[in-house]
Amino acid sequence: MAVEVLMPRLGWTMETGSVLAWHKHEGEAVEVGEILLTVQSDKAATEVEALESGVLHMAVGAPPIGAEVPIGTLLAYLLSPGEAPPGETPARAPAATLPVAPEDGSAPPPAATSPAPAAVAGASGVASRADRQAHDGQVNIAATVAAQAQAAASPRARRVATELGIDWTALRGSGRTGRIVERDVLAAALTAAAPPRVRVTPLARRRAAAGIDVESLAVASAGGRVSQADVAAGVRRLVAQRLTESTRTTVPVTLTTEADATELARLRAEIKADAGHSTGERHEGDARDERSRGTGGDGGYHGGMVPSYTDLLAKVVAVALAAHPDLNASWSDEGVVRHSEVHVGIAVDTGRGLFVPVVRDVARKPVAAIARESAQLIARARAGQCTADELRGGTFTITNLGRYDIDAFTPVINLPECAVLGVGRVVARPVVVVDEAAERVDVRKMVALSLTFDHRIVDGAPAARFLQRVKHLVEHPYLWLTR
Amino acid sequence: MGEMTFVAAAREDLDEEMARDPSVFVMGQGIGARGGNFNTTMGLFEKYGPERLRDVPIAERGFVGMCTGAAATGTRPVVDFMFVDFILDAMGELINQTAKLQYMSSGRLTMPIVLRGCYGIGRASATHHSGAYYPIFVHLPGFRVAVPTTPADAKGLLKTAIRLEDPVLFLEHKSLLNTKGSVPEGEHLVPFGEAWVARRGTHLTAVAIGSMVPRTLEVAGRLAAEEVSVEVIDPRTLAPLDIDTILESVHRTGRLLIVDETYAPCGIGAEIAAQVVDRSFDDLDAPIRRLNGLHTPIPYSPPLEAAVVPTTEAIAQAIRDLLAE
Repeated sequence: MAVEVLMPRLGWTMETGSVLAWHKHEGEAVEVGEILLTVQSDKAATEVEALESGVLHMAVGAPPIGAEVPIGTLLAYLLSPGEAPPGETPARAPAATLPVAPEDGSAPPPAATSPAPAAVAGASGVASRADRQAHDGQVNIAATVAAQAQAAASPRARRVATELGIDWTALRGSGRTGRIVERDVLAAALTAAAPPRVRVTPLARRRAAAGIDVESLAVASAGGRVSQADVAAGVRRLVAQRLTESTRTTVPVTLTTEADATELARLRAEIKADAGHSTGERHEGDARDERSRGTGGDGGYHGGMVPSYTDLLAKVVAVALAAHPDLNASWSDEGVVRHSEVHVGIAVDTGRGLFVPVVRDVARKPVAAIARESAQLIARARAGQCTADELRGGTFTITNLGRYDIDAFTPVINLPECAVLGVGRVVARPVVVVDEAAERVDVRKMVALSLTFDHRIVDGAPAARFLQRVKHLVEHPYLWLTR
Repeated sequence: MGEMTFVAAAREDLDEEMARDPSVFVMGQGIGARGGNFNTTMGLFEKYGPERLRDVPIAERGFVGMCTGAAATGTRPVVDFMFVDFILDAMGELINQTAKLQYMSSGRLTMPIVLRGCYGIGRASATHHSGAYYPIFVHLPGFRVAVPTTPADAKGLLKTAIRLEDPVLFLEHKSLLNTKGSVPEGEHLVPFGEAWVARRGTHLTAVAIGSMVPRTLEVAGRLAAEEVSVEVIDPRTLAPLDIDTILESVHRTGRLLIVDETYAPCGIGAEIAAQVVDRSFDDLDAPIRRLNGLHTPIPYSPPLEAAVVPTTEAIAQAIRDLLAE
């Protein structure tokens, strides 16, 4: 239903007013409450809000900018998408323009032009307004029709636009002649504030469960059905958005250090040997350390579950964060928010892209429980079965590139977290060790640790102290084994 | 399911139908002991004899009139024109008698006659032996028109044509006669009015007629490497025309190209385009495009002959242009 936009009465003494400016264009979608135009009354220039939502369409014979008109004068319509303005049929509007828009650009003789708009307006029941505005209106009619001629749309584009609730008149066409075609409407639907009804194939829905907003993928096909390929592309887009957002909004600083992981490696080896007594079974576990990670039925101190270095480091990080809560925090508009629990996200490379499932409450869980949970989460991430909840709520992230022979790197902060720990490979190297005040060279298993933190939340020295604590705990596992 | 050529498949079908129904007979020039100019009746003369494989003089109007009368009295003649161009010499008889007798007799007479012949370019057969006249017959009430493109359809459509009670123009493209394909044995009937979706695609619908089917399929296969997904539809019969399959496809793709060897004016492409615009205007995302042979008699010179009908390059270009619309 078309809503008339009239020259408003902005004060008791106001009899006439003029439009100073339109804040929306012909064909633009207007939301209720948005500033639609500025009106000059006898007293002041006032911004006027739209009282209804709709697509702005300048009325035939509407007064041009600056022209003083009585209150109640019809200025424009707010139309539903695809709705024809009242009293204006496509056939009539061009007829009205014929005399006023001569091809040669010369001014039309007044005698010929004046009756034409009036006659047309009379037919549409707005004769009095049009008569008053007959002269000024000529300019606007021409402008309106020019805008209509510009926006040629294919029949299909119009149909799809109607189905998706998109106002095609506001789109730019990508067809050879500037025609608006279906893909333009679909692209608009992709970015539309109010997404259309979306049908999602079951496979796509399952794939998308992991935090992809299917509505934002909208419409790969005419029916708007979202397919698996769209979701795959959506994962990539989401990763891109998150990482771009991270580097754009944080002040990332990366610290690197090297820790002696000989004792940690020995701890792992002993758990593994213990687990090996009871089982030879293997499962697909953490790909970052697949070769050494066994699992088992019921035997061994750890229930047959051999923790990966990432699992051990998750525990280390949780213990260290207890002493350095500034790094277990997020930046919000209210300021820094410290988290009481430590939820560690583990970066997992999957066939569909990067996923970060979260192991909850790591501080309170024994290593075996962490190992079991992370193994399940990683397997589910690889199979595309993680739920959105399993991918949310991390307070700190660990990313381990050790299996690719990477030493140090600069991980990207996983927003809204404060910091991320990059773990390099554990590699045996000759190292100078200080033993009873004497220096000697020994073969030790070393690991590079890269901490990227958000300098907005925490300063360099406290972050360095945290990393130093992590290094210390890696080198002395006995300090936290009972935690 | 045997592998055989187009012409052998049609011949196997004719053989089976002649064995099944003694009222089926063939009339034409050189179709007897000679076995037909295109081997359409090879071996059948020995099997069924001169009574059912009747050689005739060069007098098309005469023997078409004879067959029309024979059909009206309950037999099932198959007129083999060899080159279908010579059907033109019988047009008065065909249009005024063959196509109208059922109507004139209020359905008391039926007209189970098959008019078969080879058509189209490809063998430098020159201008009197290279035509494709199906639009004329689609235009006229009373005729059915089949344009098979595969050996299986040659057999299945000819079987249906022989059993129908209406006059059927059954056209065999000269360039397709030796194409090989698997053909179901025995009772293989392809109904009229059911198009074959020869290739599934999502970006554009290409309706191809006759010899343009394999050509368009070749282009579609090539364009698939460029991520262009073309749906290729072979209508198989032009009267009746399976417009629903085309509409369904255009509903998905939004773009329609019609590739036809013969002339554009008043042609199959014009008819399909008009029906699609009429019934599925809101599905169209671009203008409908036709790709036709040039509006000229077919030249004798092989290079010129190849140039007057749509080439694979022209089809590929038309597809790209239409996708850019």
